[in-house]
Amino acid sequence: MTETPFDAPADAPALVAVLNDPDDLLRAQREGWYRIPLLHAPRRIGADFLALYQTAAFPPAERWAVRWVAAVRGYRLTTRRELIPEQADHPRAGDRYYRVDIGALWPLPRPIPSRRLRRITFIRTTLGRLLEAEEINDLWVQTTARERLWEAIQQAGMTDAVEREYPLLDDSPQAADFAVFDGGERLAVFVADAARDLDGCVRERAALDYPLARGGWRAVFVDPSEAGWIEGSLRAMRALRLNSPNT
Amino acid sequence: MRLGFVVKPLARPELKSHDSRRWQNSPHLTVSLAYLRDVFGYLKSAGITMYRMSSDLAPYASHPDMPQFRNQVEESATELAELGGTARELGLRLSFHAVAATVINSPDPRVAANAATDLTVLAAILDGMGMGPESVVVTHIGGTYGSPQAARERCVHAIDALPPATRSRLVIENDDVRFGVRDALWVAERAGIPVVFDRLHYRLKGWDEIDEQEALHACLRTWPAGVRPKIHWSTPRTEWLVEDQGADAAPKARQTRWMYHSDYVNPFEFVDFLRAAARRDRSDRNPPTLPPFDIMLEARAKDLALAQLRRDLARYAPELADQLEPAAIP
Repeated sequence: MTETPFDAPADAPALVAVLNDPDDLLRAQREGWYRIPLLHAPRRIGADFLALYQTAAFPPAERWAVRWVAAVRGYRLTTRRELIPEQADHPRAGDRYYRVDIGALWPLPRPIPSRRLRRITFIRTTLGRLLEAEEINDLWVQTTARERLWEAIQQAGMTDAVEREYPLLDDSPQAADFAVFDGGERLAVFVADAARDLDGCVRERAALDYPLARGGWRAVFVDPSEAGWIEGSLRAMRALRLNSPNT
Repeated sequence: MRLGFVVKPLARPELKSHDSRRWQNSPHLTVSLAYLRDVFGYLKSAGITMYRMSSDLAPYASHPDMPQFRNQVEESATELAELGGTARELGLRLSFHAVAATVINSPDPRVAANAATDLTVLAAILDGMGMGPESVVVTHIGGTYGSPQAARERCVHAIDALPPATRSRLVIENDDVRFGVRDALWVAERAGIPVVFDRLHYRLKGWDEIDEQEALHACLRTWPAGVRPKIHWSTPRTEWLVEDQGADAAPKARQTRWMYHSDYVNPFEFVDFLRAAARRDRSDRNPPTLPPFDIMLEARAKDLALAQLRRDLARYAPELADQLEPAAIP
């Protein structure tokens, strides 16, 4: 007997994917699959569960929220033509996709909205977070350092101005660990960690120059191995707000 | 010389090694492969080119009472080929180690048949990924069942009866209790397969039958020309084993056993071993004949131990650090 998703361990890995097309929700419900283009697949795709974030393509009562979750049954490599044979002439018909086979869609007991009605790509999270999150920023499972900074941001009452894993440009895969907004001002905060030390951050900086400049971001790189890094990060975030012409 | 680690990357605890769900939730090899793809991404970023995959990659595939899981390898042919291509691009040396329940020399035909199925599934995964001959499936000789000689012979016969594709991936490892290096060499010679030298096992069993460096060289020589041999390395745990007794009682400490692996690798023992191997090679032969070999670290801290050993070699034995592949972490 198949268990419901909600019987699985809280730390079971889950992937939140984006639904930009109501037809894709129908396919997930009726045919039991979701597609990820191989070329734009996230760095990590493995998950026991798939949850779906509905965007502006959906009616107002459904959009900008995660409402559905399903158990993952398999990952198949195929082409768009095989997935959607009725669109065999589509310009990307020959492109390769992961077909993520899923079980029945279950409605989350509490839909998870995005306060900022934001664009996302994929979110790595856990089943436990899907069941407990109040807002989409609660879903990200990151390094301990980033988690600690997020907790500090919450305690400082700054969550209304801060987003996690925020894309620097709409068409760029590069994302700030934390993005702070105030009026027209934008601050991108990057946190070094075991997988990406501060040197790595600085090396990445060259690749970030263009999206940072084009998106009008100011950037801060912080190193959790330094004493007082959380306080320093919060200071930089508050300074943005103090210096904003709208404040 | 490549250094590898076993299954679970501890530097990235959020990464899963395989689909570990119970049979009721229909786990599948393609889900394991998606997780493995994520692990490969980490290996690339960490500069690690040797990795032992989970032997549970295809869940329940060899379970005798669950035929619904039996065809996973065939069902996953496209995904295996794709991931194998990624592994080859990254220069990964992949391997499996059969679980302890895989006893190929069991006198019980059902147990022996299940073991053969286990090994065949693992070899088929490597074949499906298109991995080269250095990607092997490691197993032990098995039990003694009252007669070590009969048990060794039964092991040879069981290996002979395996499908050729399975046999060509199989290597035998000396164990720590029943069959030492001499026994493994005896089986390997008759079955025509290589021996993977396990250094800690050697120190526990068979050390009085053959000199350590002689054992190392003999095992390395069993590998076919053109296939780089590998060995297993670990150092014994020396700390107390502390057992939690619940909230109302003090934890209980008991003495460790030398077969248990340490968290990290003792770097000085590691350096001494490799230097002794090189010294013996230089003194015995001209030119030296010790082939380059890779080392699978069986340490509880897994990739963290590997990273620490790299740092230790750079500091305490630069001439060995210079032999590491890749030479630098990206």
